[in-house]
Amino acid sequence: MSTQINKDDYEPKIVAFLCNWCSYKGADLAGTSRLQYPTNVRTIRTMCSGAVDPVYIIKALLDGADGVLVAGCVLGDCHYQSGNYKARRKMIILKAELHALGLDEDRVWLRWISASDGIFFKETIKEMVEALKVKGPTPMKQPWNMWKTVKGGWKPKTINSPRGE
Amino acid sequence: METENNKLATWRINMKVHSILKSQGDIFETAKAFFARLFEEGIIDYLLVPQRISNGRTLTQTLIKGVDNLEGVNPFSPVMAINSAKLVAQVGSVEKDKKVGVVIRPCEIRALIELVKLGQAKLDNLVVIGIDCAGTFEIEQWAKLVEESGDAIGKETEILKDIYAGKTDYQDEDAPIRLRSSCQICDKFTHDKADITLSILGMEDDILVTLEPELADKLGLETEDEPSSHKDVLEDMQNSRNYKRESTLDEFRDKMQSMNDMADILSTCTRCYACQTACPICYCRVCFFRTETFSPESDRLLRWADKEGALRMPTEILLYHLTRLNHIAASCIGCGMCESYCARGIPLSTLFQAVGDEVQKKLEYVPGRSIDEELPVATFKKEE
Repeated sequence: MSTQINKDDYEPKIVAFLCNWCSYKGADLAGTSRLQYPTNVRTIRTMCSGAVDPVYIIKALLDGADGVLVAGCVLGDCHYQSGNYKARRKMIILKAELHALGLDEDRVWLRWISASDGIFFKETIKEMVEALKVKGPTPMKQPWNMWKTVKGGWKPKTINSPRGE
Repeated sequence: METENNKLATWRINMKVHSILKSQGDIFETAKAFFARLFEEGIIDYLLVPQRISNGRTLTQTLIKGVDNLEGVNPFSPVMAINSAKLVAQVGSVEKDKKVGVVIRPCEIRALIELVKLGQAKLDNLVVIGIDCAGTFEIEQWAKLVEESGDAIGKETEILKDIYAGKTDYQDEDAPIRLRSSCQICDKFTHDKADITLSILGMEDDILVTLEPELADKLGLETEDEPSSHKDVLEDMQNSRNYKRESTLDEFRDKMQSMNDMADILSTCTRCYACQTACPICYCRVCFFRTETFSPESDRLLRWADKEGALRMPTEILLYHLTRLNHIAASCIGCGMCESYCARGIPLSTLFQAVGDEVQKKLEYVPGRSIDEELPVATFKKEE
């Protein structure tokens, strides 16, 4: 698939989960300050970065997001005291899981963006788009239709069940 | 964590003593006599223990009241029908007047400890009788073996003797019956937090009991040294299992290179939820995969099909397993029930342990080690 797309034309899709109290306000500030940043990002406002269940990150990746950004308040500044620390724990687990399964854990980013830091929001999105452009389109998109998408047809690999059946 | 529930954690493990129950070749009778003593001394009022049913074709956990109903019990059951932590969570209570003895394996103790941390089990009325476990067999294969031999007790004695002497014969491809895959790679086959531990590892015909000195006095047991044969078998088994675990999980992780590999492994899954039902620590009362959130209605499905051109049904197989992995990995105690329950033989236990190991190493967390440690997602460190 990736070969058909000219690298210069490729625009990565980013799903961003922004916490209501800091990061979303930060994104807002970037907008009201008329800061220019790439339009590749689709934002979803959540009450807290700690409330982002990894299921939604995985869902975004499987449905074709090239990158997922989770952003919350700066550590120590969480509106709910410790939500962002817990978000970080969830992220450690998710990244270790993706790594163990041979998937690219660097497509998932966690950043602390405060409400007064529109510039950092802009920089983060820019940086992320650049990094994803280097990586190319996601290979994690759910293979709905493996017979067609994989060149030469899909061949099942034999991974033996240890039950010996 | 409530103070009462700290029971398993605060146990003075270094204070425990060993005693040997001599038997004349019949460990089942010896175990039975030991349980009878526990009833007689009022240490337990009820006992949850594996008992033979269906002419010994299988064994199942049974809640026994009184000495008279101990016929056919075998604490070292060669099959594991269910992770008993779930059953123990049902009989556990904060009422201390009815003591329930529960005979469970190390993986079940670990699951129980995780359940306590999740607030889904109470330990106050329990006397945890742990066993050192050399492994278990798939329940349907065991039934077949017993049916062919026609002598349940004879077969049990023979095979238990083999596996508890540390023989690895039951791991080979051509063995008449093979240990469950998770048992083959289990490196935590002992647990030091049980009230009483029974062991026949390297003990020939005897049973080694490990318990607190006061309890030994009460039962009139003589204190003895830990036999060297027992220590040797423990050490050998630890080494061989460590090796087997590392190599199996490494090999599995090497195979996993992309989402397509994941889709390969799960190609026969139909999201029947058997793995979820079997898992002792899949902790939600209602899973959101069983709600409309992830079982979409017609118009949504058709819209997806429009967009993708083709849609695998039932949908979200990958999401289901990746999410379950994410929720469970930190606490996966490696009992392998998911795989035993899976009708399609998907190597779920290997998958979960391959991921679980990585996650647990990252978090420096060993599930089921002690009640003192908090669940990784319920706590945090300022620096990490």
